[in-house]
Amino acid sequence: MRVLVVEDFEVLAQSLATGMRREGMAVDVALDGVTALEHLSLTRYDVVVLDRDLPGVHGDEVCRRVAADSPSSRILMLTASGTLRDRVGGLELGADDYLAKPFDFPELVARVRALGRRSAPALPPVLACGDLTLDSSRRVATRAGRHLDLSPKEFALLEYLLSCAGRVVSAEELLERVWDEAADPFTTTVKTTIRRLRAKLGDPPLIATVREAGYRIGTP
Amino acid sequence: MTARGVSLGGLWRARHTVRARLALGYAGVFFVSGLVLLAIPAGFVHGGSTSSAVTAHPSGPGTRVDVIARSQHSSDVHQLILGSVVALVVLVAVSGLLGWWLAGRLLRPLRTITETARDISASNLHRRLALAGPDDEFKELGETLDDLFARLEASFDSQRRFVANASHELRTPLTAERTVLQVALADPAGDAESLRVACGQVLALGEQQERLIDALLTLATSERGLDDREPCDLADIAATVLASRSASIERAGLELELALSRAPVDGDRALLDSVVTNLLDNATRYNHPGGRIAIITGTNDDGRTTLTVANTGPTVPPEELARLFRPFERITADRTGASDRHGLGLAIVQAIAEAHHASIRARARSGGGLDIEISFAAG
Repeated sequence: MRVLVVEDFEVLAQSLATGMRREGMAVDVALDGVTALEHLSLTRYDVVVLDRDLPGVHGDEVCRRVAADSPSSRILMLTASGTLRDRVGGLELGADDYLAKPFDFPELVARVRALGRRSAPALPPVLACGDLTLDSSRRVATRAGRHLDLSPKEFALLEYLLSCAGRVVSAEELLERVWDEAADPFTTTVKTTIRRLRAKLGDPPLIATVREAGYRIGTP
Repeated sequence: MTARGVSLGGLWRARHTVRARLALGYAGVFFVSGLVLLAIPAGFVHGGSTSSAVTAHPSGPGTRVDVIARSQHSSDVHQLILGSVVALVVLVAVSGLLGWWLAGRLLRPLRTITETARDISASNLHRRLALAGPDDEFKELGETLDDLFARLEASFDSQRRFVANASHELRTPLTAERTVLQVALADPAGDAESLRVACGQVLALGEQQERLIDALLTLATSERGLDDREPCDLADIAATVLASRSASIERAGLELELALSRAPVDGDRALLDSVVTNLLDNATRYNHPGGRIAIITGTNDDGRTTLTVANTGPTVPPEELARLFRPFERITADRTGASDRHGLGLAIVQAIAEAHHASIRARARSGGGLDIEISFAAG
Protein backbone atom coordinates (compact mmCIF):
# COMPACT_ATOMS: atom_id res chain seq x y z
CA MET A 1 0.00 0.00 0.00
CA ARG A 2 1.39 3.39 -0.99
CA VAL A 3 0.83 6.13 1.57
CA LEU A 4 1.68 9.83 1.55
CA VAL A 5 2.07 11.51 4.93
CA VAL A 6 1.56 15.29 4.72
CA GLU A 7 2.46 16.89 8.06
CA ASP A 8 4.47 20.04 8.71
CA PHE A 9 5.70 19.01 12.16
CA GLU A 10 8.79 17.13 11.06
CA VAL A 11 9.37 14.93 14.13
CA LEU A 12 5.78 13.71 13.91
CA ALA A 13 5.93 13.16 10.13
CA GLN A 14 9.15 11.12 10.29
CA SER A 15 7.98 9.10 13.27
CA LEU A 16 4.68 8.27 11.52
CA ALA A 17 6.58 7.23 8.39
CA THR A 18 8.97 4.99 10.38
CA GLY A 19 6.11 3.28 12.17
CA MET A 20 4.01 2.79 9.05
CA ARG A 21 6.94 1.45 7.02
CA ARG A 22 7.44 -1.12 9.72
CA GLU A 23 3.80 -2.12 9.18
CA GLY A 24 4.64 -2.91 5.57
CA MET A 25 3.37 0.28 3.97
CA ALA A 26 5.32 2.22 1.38
CA VAL A 27 5.40 5.71 2.86
CA ASP A 28 6.48 9.06 1.42
CA VAL A 29 6.61 12.26 3.48
CA ALA A 30 5.74 15.82 2.47
CA LEU A 31 6.29 18.65 4.97
CA ASP A 32 4.12 21.23 3.23
CA GLY A 33 1.20 21.56 0.86
CA VAL A 34 3.25 22.43 -2.22
CA THR A 35 5.48 19.35 -1.90
CA ALA A 36 2.39 17.24 -1.23
CA LEU A 37 0.77 18.40 -4.48
CA GLU A 38 4.03 17.66 -6.35
CA HIS A 39 4.11 14.12 -4.96
CA LEU A 40 0.44 13.63 -5.79
CA SER A 41 0.95 14.66 -9.41
CA LEU A 42 3.71 12.05 -9.86
CA THR A 43 2.46 9.02 -7.91
CA ARG A 44 -0.89 7.42 -7.29
CA TYR A 45 -1.26 6.96 -3.53
CA ASP A 46 -3.75 4.59 -1.96
CA VAL A 47 -4.07 6.70 1.18
CA VAL A 48 -3.07 10.28 1.94
CA VAL A 49 -2.62 11.11 5.65
CA LEU A 50 -3.17 14.86 5.61
CA ASP A 51 -2.67 17.41 8.39
CA ARG A 52 -5.34 20.08 8.10
CA ASP A 53 -3.22 23.04 9.27
CA LEU A 54 -0.45 23.13 6.71
CA PRO A 55 1.71 26.16 5.96
CA GLY A 56 1.81 27.37 2.37
CA VAL A 57 -1.06 25.54 0.67
CA HIS A 58 -3.61 24.79 3.41
CA GLY A 59 -4.65 21.20 4.12
CA ASP A 60 -8.21 21.96 3.00
CA GLU A 61 -6.93 23.02 -0.41
CA VAL A 62 -4.77 19.89 -0.73
CA CYS A 63 -7.81 17.82 0.26
CA ARG A 64 -9.98 19.47 -2.40
CA ARG A 65 -7.32 18.91 -5.06
CA VAL A 66 -6.81 15.24 -4.13
CA ALA A 67 -10.56 14.61 -4.11
CA ALA A 68 -10.85 16.24 -7.55
CA ASP A 69 -7.71 14.95 -9.29
CA SER A 70 -7.13 11.49 -7.80
CA PRO A 71 -10.51 10.11 -6.80
CA SER A 72 -9.04 6.66 -6.12
CA SER A 73 -6.86 8.02 -3.28
CA ARG A 74 -8.46 7.88 0.16
CA ILE A 75 -7.82 10.81 2.51
CA LEU A 76 -7.39 10.57 6.27
CA MET A 77 -7.36 14.03 7.76
CA LEU A 78 -5.47 14.85 10.93
CA THR A 79 -6.75 17.82 12.86
CA ALA A 80 -5.61 19.58 16.01
CA SER A 81 -8.79 21.57 16.34
CA GLY A 82 -10.83 21.32 19.50
CA THR A 83 -14.28 22.06 18.12
CA LEU A 84 -16.41 19.37 16.53
CA ARG A 85 -17.24 21.58 13.56
CA ASP A 86 -13.59 22.09 12.68
CA ARG A 87 -12.82 18.44 13.25
CA VAL A 88 -15.49 17.08 10.93
CA GLY A 89 -15.21 20.00 8.48
CA GLY A 90 -12.66 18.09 6.40
CA LEU A 91 -15.21 15.41 5.57
CA GLU A 92 -17.21 17.97 3.59
CA LEU A 93 -14.14 18.76 1.50
CA GLY A 94 -13.73 15.17 0.35
CA ALA A 95 -11.80 13.54 3.19
CA ASP A 96 -12.82 9.93 3.87
CA ASP A 97 -12.01 9.87 7.56
CA TYR A 98 -10.51 12.07 10.23
CA LEU A 99 -8.46 11.61 13.36
CA ALA A 100 -8.15 14.27 16.07
CA LYS A 101 -4.73 15.02 17.55
CA PRO A 102 -3.43 13.64 19.80
CA PHE A 103 -4.22 10.17 18.47
CA ASP A 104 -2.83 6.70 19.13
CA PHE A 105 -0.51 5.35 16.49
CA PRO A 106 -2.18 1.87 16.30
CA GLU A 107 -5.51 3.59 15.63
CA LEU A 108 -3.97 5.58 12.79
CA VAL A 109 -2.53 2.41 11.25
CA ALA A 110 -5.87 0.58 11.54
CA ARG A 111 -7.70 3.47 9.88
CA VAL A 112 -5.15 3.82 7.09
CA ARG A 113 -5.43 0.11 6.41
CA ALA A 114 -9.23 0.21 6.37
CA LEU A 115 -9.07 3.13 3.92
CA GLY A 116 -6.50 1.29 1.78
CA ARG A 117 -8.91 -1.60 1.38
CA ARG A 118 -11.56 0.84 0.15
CA SER A 119 -9.19 2.19 -2.47
CA ALA A 120 -10.88 1.14 -5.73
CA PRO A 121 -11.68 -1.67 -6.32
CA ALA A 122 -12.85 -2.54 -2.83
CA LEU A 123 -11.09 -5.58 -1.38
CA PRO A 124 -12.30 -8.06 1.20
CA PRO A 125 -10.36 -8.08 4.50
CA VAL A 126 -9.16 -11.66 3.82
CA LEU A 127 -7.54 -12.40 0.47
CA ALA A 128 -7.15 -16.00 -0.71
CA CYS A 129 -5.63 -18.02 -3.51
CA GLY A 130 -5.91 -21.79 -3.37
CA ASP A 131 -4.80 -22.89 0.08
CA LEU A 132 -3.15 -19.52 0.76
CA THR A 133 -5.02 -16.94 2.85
CA LEU A 134 -3.93 -13.46 3.86
CA ASP A 135 -5.75 -11.44 6.53
CA SER A 136 -4.71 -7.86 5.84
CA SER A 137 -6.08 -6.33 9.05
CA ARG A 138 -4.70 -8.99 11.43
CA ARG A 139 -1.46 -9.17 9.41
CA VAL A 140 -1.56 -12.97 9.26
CA ALA A 141 -0.79 -15.16 6.24
CA THR A 142 -1.28 -18.94 6.24
CA ARG A 143 -0.76 -21.70 3.70
CA ALA A 144 -2.71 -24.93 4.19
CA GLY A 145 -3.28 -23.86 7.81
CA ARG A 146 0.44 -23.32 8.37
CA HIS A 147 1.40 -19.84 9.62
CA LEU A 148 3.85 -18.01 7.33
CA ASP A 149 6.55 -15.92 8.98
CA LEU A 150 6.80 -13.00 6.53
CA SER A 151 8.69 -9.72 6.81
CA PRO A 152 6.55 -6.57 6.38
CA LYS A 153 7.85 -6.06 2.84
CA GLU A 154 7.20 -9.69 1.86
CA PHE A 155 3.71 -9.43 3.35
CA ALA A 156 2.99 -6.21 1.45
CA LEU A 157 4.27 -7.76 -1.79
CA LEU A 158 2.11 -10.85 -1.35
CA GLU A 159 -0.88 -8.65 -0.45
CA TYR A 160 -0.47 -6.61 -3.62
CA LEU A 161 -0.10 -9.68 -5.86
CA LEU A 162 -3.21 -11.23 -4.31
CA SER A 163 -5.17 -7.99 -4.71
CA CYS A 164 -4.40 -8.12 -8.45
CA ALA A 165 -6.17 -11.51 -8.58
CA GLY A 166 -4.38 -13.35 -11.35
CA ARG A 167 -3.31 -10.26 -13.34
CA VAL A 168 0.34 -10.04 -14.46
CA VAL A 169 2.11 -7.36 -12.44
CA SER A 170 5.31 -5.78 -13.74
CA ALA A 171 8.39 -5.26 -11.54
CA GLU A 172 8.03 -1.48 -12.09
CA GLU A 173 4.45 -1.56 -10.83
CA LEU A 174 5.50 -3.55 -7.77
CA LEU A 175 8.27 -1.04 -7.14
CA GLU A 176 5.78 1.81 -7.28
CA ARG A 177 2.99 0.21 -5.26
CA VAL A 178 4.94 -1.64 -2.58
CA TRP A 179 8.15 0.35 -2.25
CA ASP A 180 8.39 4.07 -1.47
CA GLU A 181 10.27 6.76 -3.36
CA ALA A 182 13.49 5.92 -1.52
CA ALA A 183 13.74 2.62 -3.45
CA ASP A 184 16.32 2.58 -6.24
CA PRO A 185 14.57 1.60 -9.49
CA PHE A 186 17.74 -0.11 -10.77
CA THR A 187 18.21 -2.56 -7.93
CA THR A 188 17.20 -6.19 -7.88
CA THR A 189 15.22 -5.61 -4.70
CA VAL A 190 11.93 -6.81 -6.27
CA LYS A 191 13.58 -9.95 -7.62
CA THR A 192 15.23 -10.74 -4.27
CA THR A 193 12.06 -10.20 -2.28
CA ILE A 194 10.07 -12.40 -4.71
CA ARG A 195 12.69 -15.12 -4.34
CA ARG A 196 12.52 -14.99 -0.52
CA LEU A 197 8.71 -14.96 -0.63
CA ARG A 198 8.62 -18.02 -2.92
CA ALA A 199 10.91 -19.88 -0.54
CA LYS A 200 8.65 -19.08 2.41
CA LEU A 201 5.46 -19.99 0.56
CA GLY A 202 6.89 -23.46 -0.21
CA ASP A 203 5.56 -25.98 -2.73
CA PRO A 204 3.69 -26.19 -4.96
CA PRO A 205 4.86 -22.77 -6.30
CA LEU A 206 2.16 -20.08 -6.37
CA ILE A 207 3.97 -17.11 -7.91
CA ALA A 208 4.71 -17.51 -11.59
CA THR A 209 7.21 -15.43 -13.55
CA VAL A 210 5.78 -14.29 -16.87
CA ARG A 211 8.65 -13.72 -19.29
CA GLU A 212 9.20 -10.03 -20.23
CA ALA A 213 6.05 -9.05 -18.34
CA GLY A 214 6.33 -9.62 -14.62
CA TYR A 215 4.77 -11.81 -11.92
CA ARG A 216 1.40 -13.41 -11.37
CA ILE A 217 -0.16 -15.25 -8.46
CA GLY A 218 -2.70 -18.03 -9.09
CA THR A 219 -4.24 -18.92 -12.40
CA PRO A 220 -4.95 -16.18 -14.95
CA MET B 1 -51.56 33.43 29.85
CA THR B 2 -51.30 35.56 32.98
CA ALA B 3 -47.53 35.43 32.97
CA ARG B 4 -47.54 36.49 29.35
CA GLY B 5 -49.91 39.34 30.17
CA VAL B 6 -47.67 40.46 33.03
CA SER B 7 -44.54 40.27 30.95
CA LEU B 8 -46.20 42.12 28.08
CA GLY B 9 -47.33 44.75 30.57
CA GLY B 10 -43.81 44.97 31.88
CA LEU B 11 -42.48 45.27 28.37
CA TRP B 12 -45.02 47.98 27.64
CA ARG B 13 -44.02 49.87 30.73
CA ALA B 14 -40.33 49.45 30.08
CA ARG B 15 -40.66 50.53 26.47
CA HIS B 16 -43.03 53.39 26.98
CA THR B 17 -42.03 55.22 30.13
CA VAL B 18 -39.95 57.78 28.27
CA ARG B 19 -42.69 58.12 25.68
CA ALA B 20 -45.36 58.55 28.36
CA ARG B 21 -43.22 61.03 30.27
CA LEU B 22 -42.58 63.05 27.14
CA ALA B 23 -46.30 63.04 26.24
CA LEU B 24 -47.21 64.10 29.78
CA GLY B 25 -44.47 66.70 29.63
CA TYR B 26 -45.88 68.19 26.43
CA ALA B 27 -49.37 68.25 27.88
CA GLY B 28 -48.07 69.72 31.15
CA VAL B 29 -46.12 72.50 29.46
CA PHE B 30 -49.11 73.27 27.27
CA PHE B 31 -51.38 73.32 30.31
CA VAL B 32 -49.12 75.64 32.30
CA SER B 33 -48.56 78.02 29.41
CA GLY B 34 -52.31 77.95 28.69
CA LEU B 35 -53.01 78.84 32.33
CA VAL B 36 -50.52 81.70 32.20
CA LEU B 37 -52.07 82.97 28.97
CA LEU B 38 -55.50 82.80 30.61
CA ALA B 39 -54.34 84.40 33.85
CA ILE B 40 -52.84 87.47 32.13
CA PRO B 41 -56.07 88.77 30.52
CA ALA B 42 -58.10 87.67 33.58
CA GLY B 43 -55.75 89.55 35.94
CA PHE B 44 -55.69 92.48 33.56
CA VAL B 45 -59.50 92.68 33.47
CA HIS B 46 -59.71 92.29 37.26
CA GLY B 47 -56.97 94.87 37.98
CA GLY B 48 -58.44 97.31 35.38
CA SER B 49 -61.93 97.27 37.03
CA THR B 50 -60.49 98.02 40.52
CA SER B 51 -58.48 101.00 39.32
CA SER B 52 -61.50 102.36 37.34
CA ALA B 53 -63.61 102.11 40.58
CA VAL B 54 -61.03 104.15 42.46
CA THR B 55 -60.85 106.83 39.81
CA ALA B 56 -64.66 106.93 39.37
CA HIS B 57 -65.51 107.97 42.95
CA PRO B 58 -64.09 111.52 43.07
CA SER B 59 -65.75 112.45 39.75
CA GLY B 60 -69.25 111.89 41.31
CA PRO B 61 -71.74 111.78 38.43
CA GLY B 62 -72.19 108.78 36.09
CA THR B 63 -71.31 106.21 38.72
CA ARG B 64 -74.45 104.12 38.25
CA VAL B 65 -73.98 103.74 34.50
CA ASP B 66 -70.44 102.76 35.25
CA VAL B 67 -71.57 99.98 37.62
CA ILE B 68 -74.07 98.55 35.10
CA ALA B 69 -71.47 98.59 32.38
CA ARG B 70 -69.05 96.98 34.77
CA SER B 71 -71.41 94.06 35.62
CA GLN B 72 -72.12 93.52 31.92
CA HIS B 73 -68.38 93.50 31.29
CA SER B 74 -67.69 91.04 34.18
CA SER B 75 -70.23 88.50 32.88
CA ASP B 76 -68.49 88.69 29.44
CA VAL B 77 -65.17 88.09 31.14
CA HIS B 78 -66.55 85.10 33.04
CA GLN B 79 -67.89 83.61 29.83
CA LEU B 80 -64.58 84.23 28.11
CA ILE B 81 -62.72 82.55 31.00
CA LEU B 82 -65.11 79.57 31.01
CA GLY B 83 -64.72 79.15 27.23
CA SER B 84 -60.96 79.43 27.55
CA VAL B 85 -60.87 76.82 30.33
CA VAL B 86 -62.89 74.38 28.22
CA ALA B 87 -60.64 75.10 25.23
CA LEU B 88 -57.60 74.64 27.44
CA VAL B 89 -58.82 71.26 28.69
CA VAL B 90 -59.53 70.08 25.14
CA LEU B 91 -56.22 71.41 23.86
CA VAL B 92 -54.30 69.84 26.74
CA ALA B 93 -55.88 66.49 25.88
CA VAL B 94 -55.08 67.01 22.19
CA SER B 95 -51.52 68.10 22.97
CA GLY B 96 -51.13 65.04 25.18
CA LEU B 97 -52.17 62.79 22.30
CA LEU B 98 -50.01 64.73 19.84
CA GLY B 99 -47.11 64.52 22.28
CA TRP B 100 -47.63 60.77 22.59
CA TRP B 101 -47.56 60.40 18.82
CA LEU B 102 -44.59 62.73 18.37
CA ALA B 103 -42.58 61.09 21.18
CA GLY B 104 -43.31 57.69 19.63
CA ARG B 105 -42.01 58.90 16.29
CA LEU B 106 -38.90 60.49 17.73
CA LEU B 107 -38.10 57.50 19.91
CA ARG B 108 -38.55 54.96 17.12
CA PRO B 109 -34.78 54.85 16.27
CA LEU B 110 -34.10 54.20 19.94
CA ARG B 111 -36.42 51.20 19.84
CA THR B 112 -34.65 49.91 16.72
CA ILE B 113 -31.28 50.37 18.44
CA THR B 114 -32.43 48.45 21.52
CA GLU B 115 -33.92 45.59 19.50
CA THR B 116 -30.91 45.23 17.21
CA ALA B 117 -28.42 45.57 20.05
CA ARG B 118 -30.29 42.86 21.94
CA ASP B 119 -30.07 40.65 18.87
CA ILE B 120 -26.34 41.25 18.48
CA SER B 121 -24.87 38.80 20.95
CA ALA B 122 -21.44 37.24 21.09
CA SER B 123 -22.42 34.81 18.35
CA ASN B 124 -24.03 37.40 16.13
CA LEU B 125 -21.46 40.16 16.42
CA HIS B 126 -21.07 40.69 12.69
CA ARG B 127 -24.47 42.48 12.57
CA ARG B 128 -24.46 46.26 12.68
CA LEU B 129 -27.13 48.87 13.50
CA ALA B 130 -26.28 50.93 10.39
CA LEU B 131 -28.91 53.59 11.21
CA ALA B 132 -30.21 55.57 8.25
CA GLY B 133 -31.63 59.06 8.57
CA PRO B 134 -30.43 62.51 9.51
CA ASP B 135 -27.19 63.19 11.39
CA ASP B 136 -28.79 63.50 14.81
CA GLU B 137 -28.06 62.26 18.31
CA PHE B 138 -29.54 58.84 17.56
CA LYS B 139 -27.33 58.34 14.54
CA GLU B 140 -24.36 59.35 16.65
CA LEU B 141 -25.38 56.81 19.30
CA GLY B 142 -25.84 54.16 16.60
CA GLU B 143 -22.43 54.86 15.14
CA THR B 144 -20.82 54.74 18.56
CA LEU B 145 -22.45 51.37 19.24
CA ASP B 146 -21.44 50.09 15.77
CA ASP B 147 -17.85 51.08 16.57
CA LEU B 148 -18.09 49.25 19.86
CA PHE B 149 -19.48 46.12 18.17
CA ALA B 150 -16.72 46.24 15.55
CA ARG B 151 -14.05 46.39 18.24
CA LEU B 152 -15.74 43.64 20.25
CA GLU B 153 -15.98 41.45 17.16
CA ALA B 154 -12.30 41.99 16.35
CA SER B 155 -11.32 41.16 19.90
CA PHE B 156 -13.51 38.03 20.02
CA ASP B 157 -12.12 36.96 16.65
CA SER B 158 -8.53 37.41 17.73
CA GLN B 159 -9.21 35.52 20.94
CA ARG B 160 -10.88 32.67 19.06
CA ARG B 161 -7.93 32.55 16.64
CA PHE B 162 -5.53 32.60 19.56
CA VAL B 163 -7.21 29.69 21.31
CA ALA B 164 -7.41 27.67 18.09
CA ASN B 165 -3.74 28.34 17.38
CA ALA B 166 -2.64 27.62 20.93
CA SER B 167 -4.53 24.33 20.91
CA HIS B 168 -2.91 23.41 17.59
CA GLU B 169 0.56 24.36 18.78
CA LEU B 170 0.15 22.32 21.94
CA ARG B 171 -1.63 19.30 20.50
CA THR B 172 0.77 18.69 17.64
CA PRO B 173 3.95 18.21 19.74
CA LEU B 174 1.85 16.12 22.14
CA THR B 175 0.83 13.88 19.23
CA ALA B 176 4.45 13.69 18.12
CA GLU B 177 5.54 12.64 21.63
CA ARG B 178 2.93 9.92 21.75
CA THR B 179 3.72 8.67 18.25
CA VAL B 180 7.48 8.60 18.85
CA LEU B 181 6.98 6.54 22.02
CA GLN B 182 4.35 4.18 20.57
CA VAL B 183 6.39 3.56 17.41
CA ALA B 184 9.55 2.94 19.45
CA LEU B 185 7.79 0.57 21.87
CA ALA B 186 6.11 -1.39 19.06
CA ASP B 187 9.42 -1.99 17.26
CA PRO B 188 10.08 -5.76 17.42
CA ALA B 189 13.74 -5.13 16.60
CA GLY B 190 13.93 -2.30 19.13
CA ASP B 191 17.04 -2.13 21.30
CA ALA B 192 18.43 0.19 23.94
CA GLU B 193 19.83 2.49 21.25
CA SER B 194 16.52 2.99 19.41
CA LEU B 195 14.74 3.62 22.71
CA ARG B 196 17.45 6.11 23.68
CA VAL B 197 16.88 8.01 20.43
CA ALA B 198 13.12 8.03 21.07
CA CYS B 199 13.62 9.29 24.64
CA GLY B 200 15.88 12.07 23.36
CA GLN B 201 13.23 13.12 20.86
CA VAL B 202 10.49 13.16 23.49
CA LEU B 203 12.65 15.24 25.84
CA ALA B 204 13.34 17.74 23.06
CA LEU B 205 9.62 17.94 22.32
CA GLY B 206 8.92 18.49 26.01
CA GLU B 207 11.41 21.36 26.14
CA GLN B 208 9.78 22.87 23.10
CA GLN B 209 6.37 22.76 24.77
CA GLU B 210 7.84 24.25 27.92
CA ARG B 211 9.15 27.20 25.91
CA LEU B 212 5.76 27.60 24.27
CA ILE B 213 3.99 27.61 27.64
CA ASP B 214 6.52 30.15 29.00
CA ALA B 215 5.90 32.33 25.98
CA LEU B 216 2.13 32.08 26.40
CA LEU B 217 2.48 33.02 30.07
CA THR B 218 4.69 36.02 29.24
CA LEU B 219 2.14 37.12 26.67
CA ALA B 220 -0.75 36.80 29.13
CA THR B 221 1.22 38.57 31.90
CA SER B 222 2.22 41.48 29.71
CA GLU B 223 -1.28 41.88 28.31
CA ARG B 224 -2.53 42.26 31.88
CA GLY B 225 -0.32 45.33 32.42
CA LEU B 226 2.52 46.20 34.76
CA ASP B 227 2.44 45.43 38.46
CA ASP B 228 5.49 47.36 39.49
CA ARG B 229 7.99 49.58 37.74
CA GLU B 230 11.61 50.17 38.51
CA PRO B 231 14.23 52.33 36.83
CA CYS B 232 16.06 50.25 34.18
CA ASP B 233 18.61 50.97 31.49
CA LEU B 234 17.89 49.33 28.13
CA ALA B 235 21.61 49.46 27.31
CA ASP B 236 22.35 47.25 30.35
CA ILE B 237 19.54 44.87 29.50
CA ALA B 238 20.68 44.59 25.88
CA ALA B 239 24.26 43.87 26.99
CA THR B 240 23.10 41.12 29.36
CA VAL B 241 20.90 39.49 26.70
CA LEU B 242 23.71 39.72 24.14
CA ALA B 243 26.08 37.92 26.46
CA SER B 244 23.76 34.91 26.56
CA ARG B 245 23.08 34.97 22.81
CA SER B 246 26.54 35.65 21.42
CA ALA B 247 27.23 31.94 20.79
CA SER B 248 24.11 31.43 18.68
CA ILE B 249 24.75 34.65 16.75
CA GLU B 250 28.28 33.50 16.02
CA ARG B 251 27.05 30.05 14.99
CA ALA B 252 24.67 31.67 12.53
CA GLY B 253 27.63 33.56 11.05
CA LEU B 254 26.14 36.98 11.71
CA GLU B 255 27.90 40.30 12.18
CA LEU B 256 26.80 42.39 15.15
CA GLU B 257 26.72 46.19 15.23
CA LEU B 258 26.20 47.78 18.61
CA ALA B 259 25.51 51.36 19.66
CA LEU B 260 24.43 51.12 23.27
CA SER B 261 24.07 54.49 24.96
CA ARG B 262 22.22 55.10 28.20
CA ALA B 263 18.48 54.50 27.72
CA PRO B 264 16.55 54.93 30.98
CA VAL B 265 13.07 53.42 31.21
CA ASP B 266 10.71 52.98 34.15
CA GLY B 267 9.45 49.47 33.69
CA ASP B 268 9.44 45.79 34.48
CA ARG B 269 12.99 44.50 34.09
CA ALA B 270 12.00 40.88 33.32
CA LEU B 271 9.54 41.96 30.61
CA LEU B 272 12.00 44.42 29.05
CA ASP B 273 14.55 41.62 29.03
CA SER B 274 11.99 39.52 27.18
CA VAL B 275 11.53 42.29 24.58
CA VAL B 276 15.26 42.40 23.78
CA THR B 277 15.54 38.58 23.80
CA ASN B 278 12.62 38.11 21.41
CA LEU B 279 13.77 40.85 19.04
CA LEU B 280 17.31 39.48 19.01
CA ASP B 281 16.16 35.87 18.53
CA ASN B 282 13.93 36.94 15.66
CA ALA B 283 16.75 38.92 14.08
CA THR B 284 19.03 35.88 14.35
CA ARG B 285 16.49 33.37 13.09
CA TYR B 286 15.18 35.28 10.10
CA ASN B 287 18.56 36.27 8.75
CA HIS B 288 20.91 34.80 6.20
CA PRO B 289 24.49 33.59 6.68
CA GLY B 290 26.91 36.51 6.65
CA GLY B 291 24.05 38.88 7.47
CA ARG B 292 24.03 41.67 10.05
CA ILE B 293 22.18 42.60 13.22
CA ALA B 294 22.27 46.12 14.64
CA ILE B 295 21.15 47.04 18.15
CA ILE B 296 20.87 50.70 19.07
CA THR B 297 19.70 52.12 22.40
CA GLY B 298 19.56 55.76 23.49
CA THR B 299 17.39 58.83 23.90
CA ASN B 300 16.33 61.01 21.00
CA ASP B 301 15.91 64.79 20.82
CA ASP B 302 12.42 64.95 22.33
CA GLY B 303 13.55 62.93 25.35
CA ARG B 304 12.03 59.60 24.32
CA THR B 305 14.03 56.46 25.03
CA THR B 306 14.39 54.21 22.00
CA LEU B 307 15.49 50.65 21.31
CA THR B 308 16.12 49.69 17.68
CA VAL B 309 16.88 46.21 16.41
CA ALA B 310 17.61 45.96 12.69
CA ASN B 311 18.53 42.86 10.73
CA THR B 312 19.18 41.66 7.22
CA GLY B 313 17.15 38.70 6.03
CA PRO B 314 14.39 37.62 3.68
CA THR B 315 12.27 40.35 2.12
CA VAL B 316 9.09 41.07 4.04
CA PRO B 317 6.24 42.57 1.99
CA PRO B 318 5.18 45.81 3.78
CA GLU B 319 1.55 44.66 3.86
CA GLU B 320 2.64 41.59 5.87
CA LEU B 321 4.16 43.69 8.66
CA ALA B 322 1.01 44.00 10.78
CA ARG B 323 0.39 40.24 10.52
CA LEU B 324 3.79 39.51 12.10
CA PHE B 325 2.69 41.04 15.40
CA ARG B 326 -0.28 38.68 15.66
CA PRO B 327 0.26 35.55 17.77
CA PHE B 328 1.44 32.42 15.91
CA GLU B 329 2.19 34.25 12.68
CA ARG B 330 5.60 33.69 11.17
CA ILE B 331 7.65 35.60 8.64
CA THR B 332 8.18 32.57 6.43
CA ALA B 333 5.59 29.88 5.85
CA ASP B 334 7.70 27.11 7.30
CA ARG B 335 6.83 25.53 10.60
CA THR B 336 9.09 22.51 10.64
CA GLY B 337 8.70 21.23 14.15
CA ALA B 338 12.39 20.68 14.73
CA SER B 339 12.90 24.33 15.57
CA ASP B 340 11.44 26.25 18.47
CA ARG B 341 9.61 28.84 16.39
CA HIS B 342 6.31 29.26 18.12
CA GLY B 343 5.44 32.51 16.39
CA LEU B 344 4.76 34.42 19.60
CA GLY B 345 7.95 36.55 19.70
CA LEU B 346 6.68 39.75 18.12
CA ALA B 347 3.24 39.41 19.72
CA ILE B 348 5.01 39.34 23.10
CA VAL B 349 7.14 42.35 22.14
CA GLN B 350 4.04 44.29 21.19
CA ALA B 351 2.12 43.36 24.35
CA ILE B 352 5.05 44.38 26.56
CA ALA B 353 5.52 47.64 24.66
CA GLU B 354 1.83 48.43 25.11
CA ALA B 355 2.07 47.67 28.83
CA HIS B 356 4.89 50.26 28.98
CA HIS B 357 2.88 52.76 26.89
CA ALA B 358 5.65 52.55 24.29
CA SER B 359 5.08 52.70 20.55
CA ILE B 360 6.45 50.23 17.99
CA ARG B 361 7.46 51.12 14.48
CA ALA B 362 8.29 48.24 12.15
CA ARG B 363 9.75 48.85 8.71
CA ALA B 364 10.59 46.30 6.04
CA ARG B 365 14.13 47.02 4.76
CA SER B 366 14.34 47.42 1.02
CA GLY B 367 17.12 44.84 0.72
CA GLY B 368 15.30 42.35 2.96
CA GLY B 369 15.04 42.13 6.74
CA LEU B 370 13.34 44.26 9.35
CA ASP B 371 13.86 47.46 11.32
CA ILE B 372 11.95 47.49 14.59
CA GLU B 373 12.04 50.58 16.80
CA ILE B 374 10.40 50.80 20.20
CA SER B 375 10.05 54.25 21.62
CA PHE B 376 9.23 54.77 25.31
CA ALA B 377 7.63 57.94 26.63
CA ALA B 378 10.08 60.29 28.33
CA GLY B 379 10.37 59.05 31.91
